[in-house]
Amino acid sequence: MLKKKKFVIGGIIIFLAIGYLGFMSFQSSATYYYTLTEFAQQGDSVNGENVRVKGDIASGSVEKEQAGRILRFILVEGTESMPVYYQGVVPDTFNEDFEIVIEGKLGADGVFEAHTIMSKCPSKYEFEPEDNG
Amino acid sequence: MADIGYISLLLALGAAIYSVFVYILGIRKKHPALLQSARNGLIAVGGLVSVSVMVMLIAILTHNFQIEYVASYTSRDMSLSYLLSALWAGNDGSLLFWAWLLSIFAVIVVLQKRDVGKELVPCAATVIMIIQIFFLILLVSISNPFQELSYLPAEGRGLNPLLENPGMLFHPPTLLAGYVGFTIPFAFAMAALLTRRLGDDWIVAIRRWTLLAWLVLGVGNLIGAWWAYVELGWGGYWAWDPVESASLMPWLVATAFLHSIMMQRRRGILKIWNMVLIIITFNLTLFGTFLTRSGVLASVHTFSDYALGSFFLVFIGLALFIPLGLLYYRSNELQGEAEMESLVSRESTFLFNNLLLVGAAFAVFVGTIFPLVSEAVRGVKVTVGPPFFNQVNGPIFLAIILLSGICTLIGWRRASIRNLVRNFLWPLVAAVVLVVVLLIAGVTKLYALIALSISAFVFFTILYEWFRGTRARHRVRAENYFKAFWGLVMNNRPRYGGYIVHIAIIIIAVGVTGSSLYGTEKEVTIVPGESMTINDYTLTFQNIDSYETESKTTVTATLTVENNGRLLGKLTPEKYFHRSYDQAVTEVAIRSTLVEDLYVILIGWEDDGTTSFKVMVTPLVSWIWIGGIVFTAGGLIAFWPERRKTPSPRQVGVREA
Repeated sequence: MLKKKKFVIGGIIIFLAIGYLGFMSFQSSATYYYTLTEFAQQGDSVNGENVRVKGDIASGSVEKEQAGRILRFILVEGTESMPVYYQGVVPDTFNEDFEIVIEGKLGADGVFEAHTIMSKCPSKYEFEPEDNG
Repeated sequence: MADIGYISLLLALGAAIYSVFVYILGIRKKHPALLQSARNGLIAVGGLVSVSVMVMLIAILTHNFQIEYVASYTSRDMSLSYLLSALWAGNDGSLLFWAWLLSIFAVIVVLQKRDVGKELVPCAATVIMIIQIFFLILLVSISNPFQELSYLPAEGRGLNPLLENPGMLFHPPTLLAGYVGFTIPFAFAMAALLTRRLGDDWIVAIRRWTLLAWLVLGVGNLIGAWWAYVELGWGGYWAWDPVESASLMPWLVATAFLHSIMMQRRRGILKIWNMVLIIITFNLTLFGTFLTRSGVLASVHTFSDYALGSFFLVFIGLALFIPLGLLYYRSNELQGEAEMESLVSRESTFLFNNLLLVGAAFAVFVGTIFPLVSEAVRGVKVTVGPPFFNQVNGPIFLAIILLSGICTLIGWRRASIRNLVRNFLWPLVAAVVLVVVLLIAGVTKLYALIALSISAFVFFTILYEWFRGTRARHRVRAENYFKAFWGLVMNNRPRYGGYIVHIAIIIIAVGVTGSSLYGTEKEVTIVPGESMTINDYTLTFQNIDSYETESKTTVTATLTVENNGRLLGKLTPEKYFHRSYDQAVTEVAIRSTLVEDLYVILIGWEDDGTTSFKVMVTPLVSWIWIGGIVFTAGGLIAFWPERRKTPSPRQVGVREA
């Protein structure tokens, strides 16, 4: 039985190590995910914290500066809206009226500074028949 | 037309149900005629599902837009190859494709000539048909690909232009084939449990099926990474999107399974563990499909279909708990025939590598479902991003690679210290020399040094093993070195194919290390005539131009590239605007070498010619794709059938004469 014990201990060490790694990495990368409505309800507590927010791009709100490098738009959901600032490469699937998820932080001026824009993968545009809407 | 497709799916469902009942009856009564009839039912399922796939293909090729699926994913101006890919472009079509693959695999299973495991086939075929019934029920109810529209559209919506890449032709079908392939080993494992034939037969019967499914899934993932890199225009190849994670998890657990079945064959140990691994692998493939279909996670890939999601969840529940219950019930018949002896042995490295692979899969699993768990527990969604997955998996993967190197040269049962020193001295020396060279060359990041030294060490252990084997053959058989090496590989293809796969993994690991730790990037806004520099490259923006073709407008920026004053050529990042699709497509320009990739993205422009670019220099990315090719080669060598040990006809003839 002594032989078996060595392997059990080895296994436990491996799982503790993975658990520890997981915990440490989790601490440094856990991010809240809100819909825009939920995000608005959080009030000031979320200022400056890295979060993900889901919403729609308001039609006609997209403005570009610096030959497309800087992007400003309004994220909307229901009655809520929030101005967003983003610098970088805009995904091809970024389009007005589309649902997107942005990651970044809300500044003191009320503008959300996004460092990542995630929009839907193009393969999965489901065809919505009229009667289904 | 659509009716033919739908009716053959209904008939296939009937045939599958028939097959299951008659198989069960035949197995109970040990009645060959019944088994034969059930087998015919199974083959009929294969034929009928093939008919509906043919109907779907004809509908796609003849632009029958009455069928909703055809109207959603194709249009008249698509080329033949992309028309064919429409078969798996959408939700319902990919389920039909899944059912088709499964039905074909089932037919191969029952028709395959096999020396061992014949007795398991009827029961395994029953399990496969039960799974087939699940998919057929989905196809005739909530995911009917032959659904017709009440009106006839003049033109279909066509394929999203972002998908017009060879990746679309190969990535989805390889992933699906990998997923479906794991059904076969799972079915044989269940057959072994149900019929109490718990020896090694089932493992012998499924080794090559598992290897093929694993190989295809691995290749599918690599093609996906390559596609993301060359087409999606963000400069990366892996983003830990839930759907990517979902296809990595079964691959990791299957890797563990492929290794631990070797232990069962050689030493008669880990029998229960092997059962658990294949049950988990199969369930992870279902889980991956569930993630893509149900939309429970905010992934860039997901379809949203609540009903389909619930169906899958129930099925996963059944496919997990029934087999585990059965396994528990039979566990006392699955005791190992030997015990692990020493921590310093090949068995031990296999075992710990198994634990690490499963641990990595588990960490990915936790990270992937974390938003769901946190929402259920605390009412808020908490996501973990790519940093989590990278930080957890980096060290685990390095440990796995290191152990795989030790495994190569360590003896079975118990290895002595002297034996260790003798085996590992040269690989270790070679690795140390390489690290010193890297340090001198300016690689100073600790993580990179650790990763590269481990990779080098493992690479040299494999070379050393090959060298010793070749030298032994050269001495004993007096063959020249080349012939001796060739004979060595060809006489034990599973083993040497495996080593080649290990080398492929090392090449990929080097690529990932270099590209993730040493990338540089820069965003600039410049006018024609201006230059920008990044590392040793100077890019001069020549002009920006647009031209029209029949289907699209293309905007092309031209940049000349110099490296330390030496002209390397031109790069032309582009953007397309298709007439029929309201979406831009960014076409990145990549200058790829073995050392590094120069990657240029056209971000945008203004009327006066002011243009924005993002430029990246990423080292060693091409090693990942080269590793992928080596991976495929190694896998195929391991998969290739061994020569049957039957006398050749000529010898038989001589004997008879």
